[in-house]
Amino acid sequence: MPSSSLATTRLLIKPQTALKSSFLRFMLMFLCNMVKCKHRCPTFLQKAPIHVSSVGLCFFFLPMILVSGAGSSPCVRVLKCLIPASVVPQQAVVRAVVWLNVSKIPISTQVLFIKWVLTVFDLIDAKDQLRAIYGFIFSFITEENLCPYICHLLYLLTRKENVHLYRVRKLLELQSKLGRQPFLMHLLSLYKVFCPELVTLSIPSRIRSGFKNYISPWKSALVAVQKSNGQQVSSSISAAFTIKEKSISRKRKHCHLDLPALSSVLNKEPQSEQTSRRKMVPLVHLSSFAQMLKDMHRIELPAQMGSLLGSSLALQYLDCVQEESALLRLNFWLGCALHEGNLSHFVFQEGFSSSDAFLYKFLNVWDGSLLRPQILGLLSNIPVIPSTRGFFFYSAFRCFSVDFPALCLLLHRSWEPVCDCQLSLCCRNITLSGFKDSVMELVHFVGRLASLGLQLEGCNTLLLSFILDFYETVCDTFLKFGLPLVVMPPPGVFYPALLATDPVSVDRLAYIMHRWVVFLTPGKQRSKKTLHSLFVSRHTFRQFNHYLVFMVNCLWNCRMFHANTDMHVREELLHKSNVPQYWTRFDFIHHPAFTGYAVDFHQKCWPGKKDVDVNSIKSKPWSWYLEYLFNQGFDGLKDFVHSSISRQVTAGDKLQDSQQR
Amino acid sequence: MSRLNPFAKLPGLNTASVLLVESEEHFQQSLAEALVEETSVTVNVRLAKSFPLPIENDESRPRIDLVVFIINLTSELSFQSAEASLKYLEPGYFLGKVCFMVTNARSSSVPAERLDAVRRLAASLHCPLLFAEEQTPEGVTNAAERLLTILKAAAGFVPFTTPLYLSNLTRCTLPPDIDQPSFD
Repeated sequence: MPSSSLATTRLLIKPQTALKSSFLRFMLMFLCNMVKCKHRCPTFLQKAPIHVSSVGLCFFFLPMILVSGAGSSPCVRVLKCLIPASVVPQQAVVRAVVWLNVSKIPISTQVLFIKWVLTVFDLIDAKDQLRAIYGFIFSFITEENLCPYICHLLYLLTRKENVHLYRVRKLLELQSKLGRQPFLMHLLSLYKVFCPELVTLSIPSRIRSGFKNYISPWKSALVAVQKSNGQQVSSSISAAFTIKEKSISRKRKHCHLDLPALSSVLNKEPQSEQTSRRKMVPLVHLSSFAQMLKDMHRIELPAQMGSLLGSSLALQYLDCVQEESALLRLNFWLGCALHEGNLSHFVFQEGFSSSDAFLYKFLNVWDGSLLRPQILGLLSNIPVIPSTRGFFFYSAFRCFSVDFPALCLLLHRSWEPVCDCQLSLCCRNITLSGFKDSVMELVHFVGRLASLGLQLEGCNTLLLSFILDFYETVCDTFLKFGLPLVVMPPPGVFYPALLATDPVSVDRLAYIMHRWVVFLTPGKQRSKKTLHSLFVSRHTFRQFNHYLVFMVNCLWNCRMFHANTDMHVREELLHKSNVPQYWTRFDFIHHPAFTGYAVDFHQKCWPGKKDVDVNSIKSKPWSWYLEYLFNQGFDGLKDFVHSSISRQVTAGDKLQDSQQR
Repeated sequence: MSRLNPFAKLPGLNTASVLLVESEEHFQQSLAEALVEETSVTVNVRLAKSFPLPIENDESRPRIDLVVFIINLTSELSFQSAEASLKYLEPGYFLGKVCFMVTNARSSSVPAERLDAVRRLAASLHCPLLFAEEQTPEGVTNAAERLLTILKAAAGFVPFTTPLYLSNLTRCTLPPDIDQPSFD
C-alpha cells in the first residue's frame, strides 16, 4: 500500500506549446530531479506517482520518453511514475507503440511500457485505433521478452476479424519453440472461440484465472491516486440503464474494483446521422427493450465486460445471444475480480450462465459465509449435471452440515436447479437415466447431510422442517418432473421426525409415508401415469416396509419395541427404565407430540373429572379422539391412517386387533 | 521423539481444548479470541508456532481435542511447516481430530499448485479443509463458528456423533480433474 505521503505533482503542458526536443529533455530532467529530491531512493512508483493531466503529458510525453536517448534510467523512472488522472488518449499510446520499433529502446523499457499500457488499459478512451494496428502489435510477439505481455494486450484487443490463419500458425510456431506457455494458450483459446475451425488443437478445460498478475502494485497505486483526487475512472454513466443507486455512489470511492460503468468502445457522443451510418450500435445507446429488439443484430459490446453485470438489459441481451467470445471475456473479468478480492459490491444477476464458471472457482475457495445469500441464490441456477462439476458442487457443501442456517437455505433452494434442468434436458444432450442418477445422487447426499445436521443441531425443529420439505418434494418428482425417483428418507431423518416432540414434524412425516404408500401400492394410484418403467430396488422396498411397519406399530398397534423392528431394545433395559407400559408410550395418546391434545380431549369429554387418565380414551371415544386430532390441521396423519390402516370395529365398543395394510 | 497423544489424559469437565498451529502466528490470535467467546462449553485455546511442542508444558497441557493447522497460502514456508509438524501427532488424531484451515485462498499471488498440494495433503489424511477470510471480523467469527462445531464433536459433546463420523462427511476430497494441466 502506498504510504500516506504520496507526492502528487500536477503537470500541464498545453498542446500548442512549441515542443522543441531540448525543452522536453529539460522537462524530463526536471521531473527526474524532483523525483530524486523528494525521495532518497526512488525505487518504485508507489513512493512518488506523478499525477498527470491527460491531454498534455501523455500525448507528447509518452513517445518522447521512449525516444529520448538521454539514458534509459531517468526515462524508466519517469515512466514508472506516470499515472494518468482520468483518461489516456489512445493516440498517445498508438504513437508510443509506433516508436517502439523505430528507435533503439532497451528491451526492459519496452517491457515496462507494455506493462504500463496494460495497467492503464481501462483508462484508454477508445480502442479503435489500437485495433487498427493489431497486426503491428502482433508482430512484436516474436520478441521473447515481450511475448507474454503482448499476448495479454492482444487478448484484450482481439475481435473476430483479427483472427487469421497465419496468426494462428505463428502462435503455434511459438508454442513449439517456447512450450505450452499459459499466455499463448489463453490467446489461442480466445482465437478458438472466435474461429473454432482455424484452431484445431485442444485446450484443457481447466483454465485457471488468467494471465499472471504482474501489474497489481501498479494498479493499486493508480487507484490510490485517483481516490485521493476523488475522481471517477470511467467517463460516462448511462442513465438509461437500471444500475443500482448504491453502486453508483460507491463507485466514486472504489473506482477500479467495482463494476465499471457501461460505456461504449468509442467514447464520443455520436451525431444522429452517424449512428445510422455506422454499422454497430453500442450497447450503451440502447434505452429500452424495444430498441434492443430492433437493433439486435447490430449491437456492439462494451470494452469493459464487467460493466454488463450492472445492467439488466445488457444481461438479457447476452443471455439471448449467447455469444461465446463475450462470455469468455466476462469469465476472464470475473476471474480477475475474484482474485482482486474486493467483492463487496458485487451485483450478481441470476440466470446468467457465465456465472457458472465463476461460481465453481469461487466455491473452491469459499469460507461459507462471504456473500452467502448471493452465492446460494446463484446456486439455485446452476445445473446439477454434468457430473464432474456436480462433484465439486457436493464437495463444497460438505461443510454445510456444520452450518445450520446455510443448510436450511440449501435445502430450500436445492430443487430449483432440478426444475431448470428438466426443462432444458433436450438441449443438454443428457439421457433421462443419467439425469435421474444425478438427482438420485443429490438426494442421497442431502440425506447424509441432513442426518448429520440433525445430530449436530440436536434435532432442531426448524431444520427438520426444511428437511421434511425436501423429502416431500422427492415424493413429487414423478408428478412434477417426470422422474421415476423412489428414495426413502434415511433412518437419521425418519426416526427423529417420528419421535419428535412437535406434532408438525410427525404430521409431515405421515404425509410423506402416505404419499409413498399411494405411489407404491398398485391399485391405489389415482394418477393415470403408468409406472411400468419404474424399477424400485428390493432394498428400497424393504426400507419402505420397515418404516411403515414401525410407524403403524408405534402409533397404532402399541407394539413399539417389537422384535422385528429396527429399534430393538432389550427387555431388561426397558424394565429398568421403570416406564409403565413402555410399548404404548408413542401411540396417538401418549406420544409427546400429542399428549397435549389427548389431555385436552379428555377434559372436553369428561369435564368434571379431576383425575386425568388418558388411557380411558382408548375405549369408546377413540374414533372421536382421532377425528378431533385430525381436525387440528393434521391432514398428513389423517391421510396416513386412512391409507395404511384398516380397522375392524366389532359389535362391541372395544377396538379389536387392527391390521395394517 | 514424543508425539502428542489424543487419549493419554483425561478430559476436563465440560471443557474442550483446541490447539491452533500457525507458523506465522498471525491469524491464530484473532481466531482464539473469537473461540473463547463460546459460552455453552469452556473452550481452552492453545497456540503454537509449530511442532514439536515445548516439553516443559507437557504436564500442564490439557488433553487436546482438536489440532488445527492454519496455513497461509501466500507463504510456502507456512505450508512446509505444517507438513513437517504432522509427524509429531499420534495416528489417533487423524480420526477426525485434525483439521486444516487455509487463509488468503482468494489472493491472486497464490500459485495454484500450492492450493492443490494442501488439498492433496488434507485428502490423504482424510481431514476437513476449511477456508477462512481473515481480513474481516465477520470472516473470523464465521471461521470460529465452524471450528467450534468440529471441536464440539471432537470433544464428545454431541451425542451419537464421533469425530470420525463427522470427518467422514466433512473431509476434503479431490476433484476429478486435479491432475489435468492447468495454467496460471
